[in-house]
Amino acid sequence: MASDGTTHGGTPAQQLSLINLLGAVLPIGLLAWAFAMNPPAALRSYLWAFCVVAAVPCGSLALLALQHLTGGAWGVTMRRPLEAAVRTLPLVALLFVPLALGAHILYPWANGSYTAPYPKSLYLNVPAFQLRAGVYFAVWIVLGTVLNYWSTRQDRENPPDFDRRFRLIAGPTLGLYGLTITFASIDWVMSLEPMWFSSIFGVLFGVGQILSAFVFAILMVLLFSDRPPLRGVIRAGHLRDYGSLLLAFVMIWMYLSISQFILIWSANLKEEAPYYVERSHGIWPIMAGLVVLAQFFTPFLVLLTRDGKRNARSLGWVAGMVLAARAAELYWFIAPARPVDHHTLLWSDLVALPALAGPWFLFFTWQLSRRPLLPLHVDPTPAEDHHG
Amino acid sequence: MTEPQATTGQQVLAPGHSMASITDKVSAIVLTRPVGKRWLFGFTLGFILTCVLFTTIANLLVTGVGIWGLNAPVGWGFDIINFVWWIGIGHAGTLISAILLLLRQNWRTSINRFAEAMTLFAVSCAGLYPLLHMGRPWFFYWLMPIPNTMELWPQWRSPLIWDVFAVSTYASVSALFWYVGLIPDLATLRDRTTSRLGRMVYGVLAMGWRNSAKHWHQYETAYNLLAGLCTPLVVSVHTVVSFDFAVGVVPGWHATVFPPYFVAGAIFAGFAMVLILCIPIRAVYGLQDFITMKHLENMGKILLATCLMVSYGYAMEIFTAFYTANTYEEYLMHNRLHGPYATSYYALWFCNLIVPQVLWFKWARTNVWVLFIVSLAVSVGMWLERFVIIVLSLSRDFMPSMWGQYRGTPWDWSMYVGTIGLFITLLFLFLRFLPVISIFEMRTLLPEAKVGDHGEHS
Repeated sequence: MASDGTTHGGTPAQQLSLINLLGAVLPIGLLAWAFAMNPPAALRSYLWAFCVVAAVPCGSLALLALQHLTGGAWGVTMRRPLEAAVRTLPLVALLFVPLALGAHILYPWANGSYTAPYPKSLYLNVPAFQLRAGVYFAVWIVLGTVLNYWSTRQDRENPPDFDRRFRLIAGPTLGLYGLTITFASIDWVMSLEPMWFSSIFGVLFGVGQILSAFVFAILMVLLFSDRPPLRGVIRAGHLRDYGSLLLAFVMIWMYLSISQFILIWSANLKEEAPYYVERSHGIWPIMAGLVVLAQFFTPFLVLLTRDGKRNARSLGWVAGMVLAARAAELYWFIAPARPVDHHTLLWSDLVALPALAGPWFLFFTWQLSRRPLLPLHVDPTPAEDHHG
Repeated sequence: MTEPQATTGQQVLAPGHSMASITDKVSAIVLTRPVGKRWLFGFTLGFILTCVLFTTIANLLVTGVGIWGLNAPVGWGFDIINFVWWIGIGHAGTLISAILLLLRQNWRTSINRFAEAMTLFAVSCAGLYPLLHMGRPWFFYWLMPIPNTMELWPQWRSPLIWDVFAVSTYASVSALFWYVGLIPDLATLRDRTTSRLGRMVYGVLAMGWRNSAKHWHQYETAYNLLAGLCTPLVVSVHTVVSFDFAVGVVPGWHATVFPPYFVAGAIFAGFAMVLILCIPIRAVYGLQDFITMKHLENMGKILLATCLMVSYGYAMEIFTAFYTANTYEEYLMHNRLHGPYATSYYALWFCNLIVPQVLWFKWARTNVWVLFIVSLAVSVGMWLERFVIIVLSLSRDFMPSMWGQYRGTPWDWSMYVGTIGLFITLLFLFLRFLPVISIFEMRTLLPEAKVGDHGEHS
């Protein structure tokens, strides 16, 4: 059955990229103008858009390693979208350059509005921030390249016992991802409020990225599921596995979020509580409620049922909703900390996301179209369907 | 396409077995095997230690909690350390039986029965501690929201009261899950035993199981529902335990990473205990065909994965102290590294972080001795972890004028050793009177069960 995988998924992917190209040019121009008008505000919008976009490739790296470790049909069918997303990491690194250069404008610990006390200042300073970002991207790109390269080799030569090789690097990849994303989340997002600290934040941020990547990959598989080579391969069994995993991920996310909230709320310390106090005014509580509704309650109730999981339409809707909620959640993390006007959306936010997501998606579709949509020598049938 | 299934089946069950040989082999441990010297030795040892436990409890009830080493700054000592240690150990049982069942990991089949039993025994040991820590345990029902003339209510904002509900729910659902899983095997024992008493006891416990299709259908539904119920419980119990600490603002306790870090630690400790029990049991009872190297290796992998998660927790604790630049958090780290209990902290690192790293290698994961030693180290390390968290934080918190020292008294130790004895006793009784491996689930691993099962569908 793996032999139908030879057809390239090029045509549909190219159709997607044309629409994108048109939509991307205008927002980029507007974002450039926003930079000229109000650099701190524009940078803040840019940071948010960057975090939304970067969540998919970074999370894909973790998921790619996870599916090599656990095996299973869900991972095989999802492997190519994940690999394509991982191959966009160099572009993501490029997109980070404005943040690395603008850190001294954006972050309170660098722009003079907060002075870090002694040991902390060793961590929160611009050169260290840039250096660490370089390390994160280097680690991710190297690991992603190795995983991608081996996957190509497997397609080409089909060496025996290659799964074992994948597993050998997948474990360390997950570990390194966990470590790097923790510090990346502290650097990029948590340090916007330099007094605040939550030791679970790295895990919360990482699980969020994996969630983004997972729903994105589900959407990609569903999008191409009625075309070769995926047509006839994707069955109810796959959808059920996606649904079960998505259910697990949203539950983990909710568990981490609510734990952080309960602990900070009940301890009520002056270093920590302001984080939630800040987010209990204006639009923020409403937004939090919507995020919880879209990223937990709705997926939870839909995916708890057998039909909710196995139905491509409901699964697609849930995935889309979670992807949107992820953007809102990151906005809720980042925007209340802005030094500019607190409780309104900025117009630069509206252009920043399309300006970054457009080119990224274009690059992604190009990468996706370069390889067959299914690995050639790996069986994509769910385990229970094997008794044919 | 039955090939992949057959190979997986072989890995978790040695080849050459039939339905009858599995039933014979497992039920013989209970029914026909004579009481051996080794069993007698183990049971006697456990029983003596249980007597030590009862002596301690008697003294405790007569004299009071003053016989323990608790003092003014250190109000939680061995009692809470051991409570957390035991309850953590229990988690592996539920994880193996519920989560791995839902994930359709068929390698769980031969180890789930005694892992679940281990859960129940560990929770029994754990439950003793907070109960006796109350000082007047006969008032335990005050923990329940019972209407009373003094209008005294539990403090619902305290995680300690959540613990009462979390642990009792966990214990009752785990017991139910274990018992439901036992019913078909109890019926097998009822049918095969030659003694009249055995027929009566197993017959009553089997609740009239006749192997009818209807029975099996209801059984499957009940078992899967209970598995679904158990899954959140695994997470909730240790999360609430972590809240017991994290809600307090004591340095070293209030960390938002505590909930997942405690859950990972519980699974880490639990799998170590499963390995400690599993390795001798399979050797003594000749169960190498059922509990294969594949099982041990998989457990080794889980041990390594949870070791890394726990290490992440330690790393974040250190980083927090540095990043927050908070005097008290910084001092806590200093105290851990250079204070009077520094040895415990270094020993904890050695046992929990360094020793398990050997599991990166396949030769280590497939060597029973290495696995056994690593598991022992982890069990010690996880005890030390709770010691470090509880005693180090309490003995030196904010005001130097309120600092103190803590050490366990002989009664603390006798209570700890006594609960280990209780655990051993219960385990040996279980080995003697109930099938240690799920007979009917093992039969489903046979290749012929696969063909019969799915043949008509395709």
